[in-house]
Amino acid sequence: MTVSAPLPTPRFLPVVWKLIRLRLLLNWNTFKHAKVGRKIGTIVITLLILAFAGFIFFLSWLLLGFLHSPTIHQYTGFDAAPFLQAVPVLVFAGLFLGILFSSFGVLLQALYLSGDMDFLLTSPVPIRAVFVTKLLQAVLPNFGLIALFGLPVLFGLGISGHYNFLYYPLILLTMVALTLAAAGLSALLVMLVARVVPPRRVAEVLGFLTATISILCGQSGNLYNSMSHNVHVSGTQVNSLFSLLIRLNTPWNPLDWAGRGLVDLGEGRWLSGLLLVVLTLGLSTIAFSFALATAERWYYTGWAGMQVVARRKRPARAERVQPAQTVVLPESAAAVRMRRLVPTPVQAIVRKDFLVLRRDIRNLSQLVTPLIFGVLYTFMFLRPGGGMFPDQPDMPRTLVNVSHFITTYGNIGMSLFVGWMLLSRLSSMAFSAEGKNYWVLKSSPVRTGHLLTAKFLVAYLPTLALGVIFMVAVSIMQKATPVVFLYGLLASAMCLAGMNGLLLAFGVAGANFNWTDPRRMNAGALGCLGQFLTSLFLAFSFSLFVGPLVLVALFQWPLVYGYLVGGIFGIVICGLAAFLPPWLVRKRVERLNEN
Amino acid sequence: MPIQSLIETRNLVKKYGDKLAVNDVSFEVNGGEVFGFLGPNGAGKTTTIKMIVGLLQPTSGSVKVAGYDVQVQPLQAKASSGYVPDTPNLYAKLTGRELLRFVGDLYDLDRAHVAKRTDELLKMFDLTAAADDTVDSYSHGMQQKASLAAALMHDPKVLVLDEPTVGLDPKSARLIKDILRQMADRGAAVCLSTHILEIAERMCDRIGIINNGSLVAVGTMDELRSLGKSGETSLEDIFLSLTGGAEEAEIAEILK
Repeated sequence: MTVSAPLPTPRFLPVVWKLIRLRLLLNWNTFKHAKVGRKIGTIVITLLILAFAGFIFFLSWLLLGFLHSPTIHQYTGFDAAPFLQAVPVLVFAGLFLGILFSSFGVLLQALYLSGDMDFLLTSPVPIRAVFVTKLLQAVLPNFGLIALFGLPVLFGLGISGHYNFLYYPLILLTMVALTLAAAGLSALLVMLVARVVPPRRVAEVLGFLTATISILCGQSGNLYNSMSHNVHVSGTQVNSLFSLLIRLNTPWNPLDWAGRGLVDLGEGRWLSGLLLVVLTLGLSTIAFSFALATAERWYYTGWAGMQVVARRKRPARAERVQPAQTVVLPESAAAVRMRRLVPTPVQAIVRKDFLVLRRDIRNLSQLVTPLIFGVLYTFMFLRPGGGMFPDQPDMPRTLVNVSHFITTYGNIGMSLFVGWMLLSRLSSMAFSAEGKNYWVLKSSPVRTGHLLTAKFLVAYLPTLALGVIFMVAVSIMQKATPVVFLYGLLASAMCLAGMNGLLLAFGVAGANFNWTDPRRMNAGALGCLGQFLTSLFLAFSFSLFVGPLVLVALFQWPLVYGYLVGGIFGIVICGLAAFLPPWLVRKRVERLNEN
Repeated sequence: MPIQSLIETRNLVKKYGDKLAVNDVSFEVNGGEVFGFLGPNGAGKTTTIKMIVGLLQPTSGSVKVAGYDVQVQPLQAKASSGYVPDTPNLYAKLTGRELLRFVGDLYDLDRAHVAKRTDELLKMFDLTAAADDTVDSYSHGMQQKASLAAALMHDPKVLVLDEPTVGLDPKSARLIKDILRQMADRGAAVCLSTHILEIAERMCDRIGIINNGSLVAVGTMDELRSLGKSGETSLEDIFLSLTGGAEEAEIAEILK
């Protein structure tokens, strides 16, 4: 028997370079084979980003140079030096914390959920190299983003403060070291979590939380602005902010050492500068090395565990209870009537879609947006003085009437806006949401009309329910009359139906079945066009119902004419919008997913 | 009883842009027959199968399933057929039981029948224990079995399967082979594509070999043997000689 010579262990850095080169090649190939428009877009965006970085650099140079000027101190008594020294501290601390927190989700995806893991872990490459490559791939975009803002500021500070040459290369070195340390620690956190909870579940929950928090943060600004109409930034507030920044710059905080050390070096305080920078670099190296060493042990076991966890979510039902035979209860009269009204295949698709929507938390992160918007905008709308046209003492009587009408029926507008957001997800992606499972529907004997009806209902029913809840709540708070409430309900139901029909048709035209992450199912431009057009339809359909009421108020005609004309026009136009667009795309439905 | 042709393709052509994926394919599969569809990778097997079950529209030609033209009477044709794709993409967040109920409802079957049939199929495919677990917790083999159970829900006259035994353990593969045979014995037409020549040779009553989009041979094993060169008795030899793989086989032999 021939004993083959032992294979040499592949060297770490060349393997890392090979893997990074592979990634670069993939990116280059993606760019090379992209359509011309996309190529031009990529080049334009890159140039814009560079121009933006240049702009920040010059702005920082001028602004910080201005603050360095002794004239400022002479005339205002404001000593900018402590603030200027705190700027690098702020940038480096921000970089470290930003990478540490923002990398969690990206690293989770890169380390555990990317498709090439099987290939990489079965190849004769050191696991440490795979780990480092994945780390770099995941962290580079966030690093680039933070560096895009941070580097020009730090360079601008250096030039305006006439810092010595050592300051500049050490900025880059420190940034890289801190980024690697933060990413290493973040990766360890990911691995720790992945050992306890299945990574796919963590990603789902994280997506939901990120989306919710982002929306809440984004809207809290709007809410704050709307509550305090005029936000004045006083000199005292600016001084407080500067004081806070200066107070953050403390010698005992390790996060501040990098910034303080670089400033000391830049300003010629060599001993303290070198000590702090070396300390930062040393600690970063220790943190990264620790992460590497631990990763080698944790990564493989965590990844291997994930392969099992995915199939071991719950013990089989047989181990929990004796499997139940399906019990068929006699069908109630209501169920029989319902089956006559809504055919069984339609009911089946609706039931299936609701189950899938409810069980996949990744969908919830998209569906929660309208709810947050609804609650916030209702609050903004109903707070004192929050109407569309707050009463002015010198406003003519007719305009006051019109203003009151619009305020009274503004709830329809708000309900439609919230509904539009929900429909944008549910209706325009009704077909795309089927993804690779669409063959089940397509190979079944389901009529196109039934399929369209089911998808229409899946989007319409929850939106209508949300609209009704919204209308009831607002009507109670506004003490609306039953007529106003019922008319609002009719208008809301019809406008939502019209929007739903339009969005459904656009969803069919731009259906995309080739996705793995639900957040990426709406990849086409047609979805955006549909959302834009339906936002116009929203305003149009709202005006159809409310316009005649405003007119009768203007001309002081009997109100009943306004309700009649608005109701008839609204019902006809919205009914047509609900029915016609899906009917027009019915032939396309039959040919979906054939390319 | 006269033999009824349950799958009938006539001059089937499918083009993707300039690329001819299927070129003038005509064959029939009778009731009570297991028909094997063989061909190298990219020969056009899956495209042909997808046209039979109505997932793809032919560029020209026609397909009849249980006497119904798939283009003209798609609902009747689909109601008569069951399909198992090569990759069992099923609704990950439905349980096995919910999936079968959903499929039963799509075929507008009676509620009581759906419930009874669901229990039968789950038991038959050894999925009862996992019936109330979501499909994403199933192994590949379990998903493949769930996919076949869904295809059998309405007891179709025509069963079309694309690589049905890929990824299955020997026990499950044997179960599927037995079920297909039983289906054929009860008068159904079974059309399956496979790469495993042993399965085709042992299971199929007739075999069609497709290469570069064209059907190069159709017939029983004996009929295929008569088409090959003298001395070619195994399906592997016949297949390689008809699809142009014989030279590669010779090279492989030399390299041994």
